[in-house]
Amino acid sequence: MLDKPEVSTQRLFFREAVTRAVREEMTRNHHVMVMGQDVGAFGGSYREFDGLYNLFGPERVRDTPVAEAASIGIAAGAAAAGYRPIVSITYMDFLMLGFDALINYAAKLRYKTAGRLTAPLVVKTTAGAQGQGVAHSQCIESWLMSVPGLKIVAPSTPADAYGLMKSALRDDGPVVYIDHKRLFPTPGEVTLAEDLIPFGKASIRREGTDLTLVTHGYMTRVALQAAQSLESEGISCEVVDLRSLAPLDIHTVTASVSRTGRLLTLEEGQSVCGVGTEVACQTFERIGPRPWKRLGALRAPVSSNPVLEAACIPDATRVAAMARAVLEL
Amino acid sequence: MTPVEMLRGMMLIRAFEDALARRRDHGFQLLSSGEEAVAVGLASALEEGDQLLTGGRSIGPALARGVAPERLMAELLGRTGGMNRGRAGRGHLSDPAAGFFGAHAVVGGNISIAAGVALARQMDHDSGIVAIMFGDGACGEGALHETLNMAALWKLPLLFVCNNNQLSVSTARADALAVARLSDLGATFGMWARTVDGLDVRAVAQAAAEAVLHVRSGLGPAFLECVSIRLRSHSTTARETRSRAELAELQALCPIRRYVSVLMERGDLDAAQRDHLSLEATIRAEGALGSADASPYPDAREVMLHVG
Repeated sequence: MLDKPEVSTQRLFFREAVTRAVREEMTRNHHVMVMGQDVGAFGGSYREFDGLYNLFGPERVRDTPVAEAASIGIAAGAAAAGYRPIVSITYMDFLMLGFDALINYAAKLRYKTAGRLTAPLVVKTTAGAQGQGVAHSQCIESWLMSVPGLKIVAPSTPADAYGLMKSALRDDGPVVYIDHKRLFPTPGEVTLAEDLIPFGKASIRREGTDLTLVTHGYMTRVALQAAQSLESEGISCEVVDLRSLAPLDIHTVTASVSRTGRLLTLEEGQSVCGVGTEVACQTFERIGPRPWKRLGALRAPVSSNPVLEAACIPDATRVAAMARAVLEL
Repeated sequence: MTPVEMLRGMMLIRAFEDALARRRDHGFQLLSSGEEAVAVGLASALEEGDQLLTGGRSIGPALARGVAPERLMAELLGRTGGMNRGRAGRGHLSDPAAGFFGAHAVVGGNISIAAGVALARQMDHDSGIVAIMFGDGACGEGALHETLNMAALWKLPLLFVCNNNQLSVSTARADALAVARLSDLGATFGMWARTVDGLDVRAVAQAAAEAVLHVRSGLGPAFLECVSIRLRSHSTTARETRSRAELAELQALCPIRRYVSVLMERGDLDAAQRDHLSLEATIRAEGALGSADASPYPDAREVMLHVG
């Protein structure tokens, strides 16, 4: 009899990995619920909640009106009162409408009540450019990183989308879970077993010796493309995917930069006060300065015009050029 | 709540806030002299399993709800004996075990939070309801309008209580809000809605009882506007914009004085009982101060506790 290899993973699209995590957590804990625009029978703008409405009904998979401020507030209040809501904010740009509830209330609740109340809330939102214009394309995660009490994760693979969502739904929160429009249709292997990915653990996506490229979210794919093309030029690039922006796994970054001696940070958002700037500062505070460059969007809004959009945000060609520039420092 | 209990409640709030305001180290406080009847009238209609949330002007409502004066005073003065170890302070008090889920000092900011707490009660199939108290200033905030809509849509067990003291810092209500009566905001969404004299504790208590009954019966949210006055400036550090003459006129409308007169006219209270109740309130307030003073400030290392 032939030995059958044990099947331990399944191939899922990113959006399906999100759904699976939410479905499992809703089954496991009846306090987990989903609310937001078009999350019900419609299944979410990116079908990331497909099927949940039929399984769990309109009370636990709850459509909201177009009212981001109240939706985040209601989710925060329900969280403080014992539930574990995911509130879906279709685009990260709309998160600004709900900042009071998220930042002034939820992120400070545990602190101000001396631990008597917490807000185990997941705000799931979508970042990035895909032709939708100046108020539907932004990556503002670095704004959020400056808020004490807020946890921020940004998966780049289906496996991480699954594992980080599972962790988010068990965390005392509040958690901002950022997916990216271009990631939803990407496939990947996801463990069949329940596999939680802890917050604060970066992942080395590719090992290298000449420089460390630190990024997160969709830009991880761009970084890997750039690293692939640099390899043919004899440049060995280590790619670190942060996965979790708060808490930040600065240990993995510093260890990598210590090995390679050079740093390139990459993000789709602004590099002024950006994720990369923070990563570089924290790294150099620990190990002293190293040659460094940062790459982010140009200092301009992200237009829906395809030419201007592409001109604004980093691509593999620009990443490779910037990597060469770091090596020349 | 008996008439004497209601009077006692109002007197405690006044004495407590006066005692606090006399302290040099009271910091920045939002006091509610003139608004005691709203807090006490509402609290008289709530039950043990209910929760109250408020905006920043929260001392009166917290005391009316039954938060211990000693712990409240310690909290306001930053002492570890406070229910939040002195770290919430004015505007952010929370004592859910006492039915006071908490204050949130961003105007309008706690309204959607309260709706979330109400949603949790509804999903728990709990008989508890939630009341949210906010000022007329919050009636211009988008968060209120969004929440009114969603609370009505989902028939949440939520009582909106607008304590309309007719001033947002220096801006008169008439200069800030276009609606005729603020309770019209609730009526627009098909809610039980009423405007009452917020200086008349009996009127507030009666209307609140009706509103609570409506909400507890599962008929959806209600909106109660209580028209009150603010006898002090917006905060203990804000400039008073009204003249002495205006303020003196307002004193004649004091809800506590008014209720004392009503009870005395009815023969339910005599001068000796009134003075006794007043003294009792002062003693409790002073006792709360003494208790707070006996409690230490937190160790500076606590700054990083419970961050996230």
